[in-house]
Amino acid sequence: QSMSLSITPAQTAAWRKQIFEQLSERSKREMENFKHYEQAIEQSVWVKKGTM
Amino acid sequence: MADDKDVLRDVWFGRIPTCFTLYQDEITEREAEPFYLLLPRVSYLTLVTDKVKKHFHKAMRQEDLEEMWFEYEGTPLKWHYPIGVLFDLHASNTALPWSITVHFKDFPERDLLHCPSNSVIEAHFMSSIKEADTLKHKGQVVNEMQKKDHKQLWMGLQNDKFDQFWAMNRKLMEYPTEDSGFRYIPFRIYQTMSDRPFIQKLFRPASPDGHTHTLGDLLKVVFPAAIPQDDEQKKYLVVVHGIEPLLETPVQWLSEHLSHPDNFLHISIIPAPSD
Repeated sequence: QSMSLSITPAQTAAWRKQIFEQLSERSKREMENFKHYEQAIEQSVWVKKGTM
Repeated sequence: MADDKDVLRDVWFGRIPTCFTLYQDEITEREAEPFYLLLPRVSYLTLVTDKVKKHFHKAMRQEDLEEMWFEYEGTPLKWHYPIGVLFDLHASNTALPWSITVHFKDFPERDLLHCPSNSVIEAHFMSSIKEADTLKHKGQVVNEMQKKDHKQLWMGLQNDKFDQFWAMNRKLMEYPTEDSGFRYIPFRIYQTMSDRPFIQKLFRPASPDGHTHTLGDLLKVVFPAAIPQDDEQKKYLVVVHGIEPLLETPVQWLSEHLSHPDNFLHISIIPAPSD
């Protein structure tokens, strides 16, 4: 990784880990039960993989 | 372990499940069923609700149709704030789907800007990007871009094309290696209980002696009440994209990874739920 604040996984700071975990929880909370809803913007060219 | 770049995708593809219901006093020719939609957190209400408009237009007479606007529990929703900010600020403690009321008359002139076409949204979006770049790089990056590059940023947002948007946006996220980050961090702080639309100040990513500034440092300057004192129960939640980053999070990292497509870090400060 070349990003300025990036560090190796073993040294991952608590704040970074917490952001990853919370974003994953957010996806579950806000999207898991609503996958059958229509998307506001249609993706006609490519389809995103649902691996969140 | 997730990569920092995954955060950009998670932020971009955040969705709010929403149920749109027509206001009870609107006159309809036939019954208007509620309409359900996944709204992109990083977009704007009036940019992603064509389907909602079409759906309710079918139930109404042409002469009863004025400009469409939205309301949540009595609060008119400002289309020029990102959808995720509106949700975090007004509805984050509500059960999903988010229930939005749709209106076609009595436009609240004092609360909302008119949005007659997508070009108004585009102008608002591009002016935010320019303002953010003025703070970050004295406007040099956005000014060096061509018209087609500006269009690429806008079209990326409008059509929900992550790669198209980020191919250009990454240039707005660069800074000289000898610096500790941007000149200033473009951020806005929103509160529910305030007449002031938002708080915005000049804030650098690091102190003159090179000490990295964190979210806690920023709040200490801009909104100290959001930082709990010793033994005190948390009075406020500090929410960005529906999550609560730790106060130790560097603001430069937040700006690079949790900014909205308009290049601002939008921070909502909401009262903590009392047990």
